[in-house]
Amino acid sequence: MTIYSLYIFDRHCECVYYQDWHRTRPVRAPPQTSFKPGVHRLPPPPSTTSSQPNGNVNRESIFSENAAAAANRNSLVSNGTSTSQSQKLSLPKGLPFDEEAKLVYGVILSLRNMVKKLSGRDEAFTSYSTSSYKLHLFETPTNYKFILLSDPSSDSLRFVLRQLYVGPFLEYVIRNPLVKVDSREEGVDNDQFRAAVDRHMKGLSMFN
Amino acid sequence: MTIHGLWVISKAGGLVFSRSYSDILPPQPVNTILTLAGILHGIHAITAKLTPTPIPGVPVGGLESFEAEGWGGKVFLTPTGTKFVLLHSIPQTGLDDLMKRIYEIYSDAVMKNPFHTPEMPINSSLFETKLQTLMSGVNA
Repeated sequence: MTIYSLYIFDRHCECVYYQDWHRTRPVRAPPQTSFKPGVHRLPPPPSTTSSQPNGNVNRESIFSENAAAAANRNSLVSNGTSTSQSQKLSLPKGLPFDEEAKLVYGVILSLRNMVKKLSGRDEAFTSYSTSSYKLHLFETPTNYKFILLSDPSSDSLRFVLRQLYVGPFLEYVIRNPLVKVDSREEGVDNDQFRAAVDRHMKGLSMFN
Repeated sequence: MTIHGLWVISKAGGLVFSRSYSDILPPQPVNTILTLAGILHGIHAITAKLTPTPIPGVPVGGLESFEAEGWGGKVFLTPTGTKFVLLHSIPQTGLDDLMKRIYEIYSDAVMKNPFHTPEMPINSSLFETKLQTLMSGVNA
């Protein structure tokens, strides 16, 4: 049993916190233009692109709204050659963080709406799984969404997300006057919270 | 375990068959199910992209099942890209076997039918009666 990553989204659909543990494909830092402080502690992207062929950053992207016009053209060109794109996708290289967060949020929002529509009432979507991971969702009454990725064989881990909410999140984020909750400009990251979440996760029996 | 419904989604994301087998989930208009099937098709592709630990060279799989509080869905992707979506109650057992049975019925009653056009809606009374028998056995 393993735990891969934790995302917290606020009611403005913005990712306000991110932490990961056992990913073999680490997420990449977002480009400077869409960088938001206080969310993650990813190393900043290299300023020179000498090590990478030009346009490589945008090649994996399925969004292009953040890309510059020239890079956009590059990504369109590379989309035309589908073989090179599929080769790039098979490499263990992650998406930029901002795009990955958007994808996660989009998936849970769509599934949540689908569940609501199918059940005809306000029923909560709780988890989904693929052959390689399982995603758990816990939603607070204030519309914070706690999302945990674990390995697919794990049982429901919503109780863990609830514990994170009533424990570290309330103590070090909500009761912390220095955290700008609901600011939309920055996340809720601080040393105490990150340490408490880390401690909590590493204390779980399913964390290896 | 109760089976609430079955959808069959073509490889292009279009709904080609849908039936409801219980009245626990409210009946939906066909247009709604058509939309939801398309959304599910898209979600399937995105969930594969979010895999945290892909193994190079091995294709990553997409959504296999999802759960709400009282019911869930099981997605089965055939090698040819057709998706079967089974809506079921929780807790569930033997869904994999049931899925295989459904796939078998689909192969026999739909794919072997010379009058069936691939990727088009399924209009086969044999398929429907066979499924009905299977589902009433499971739901009993």
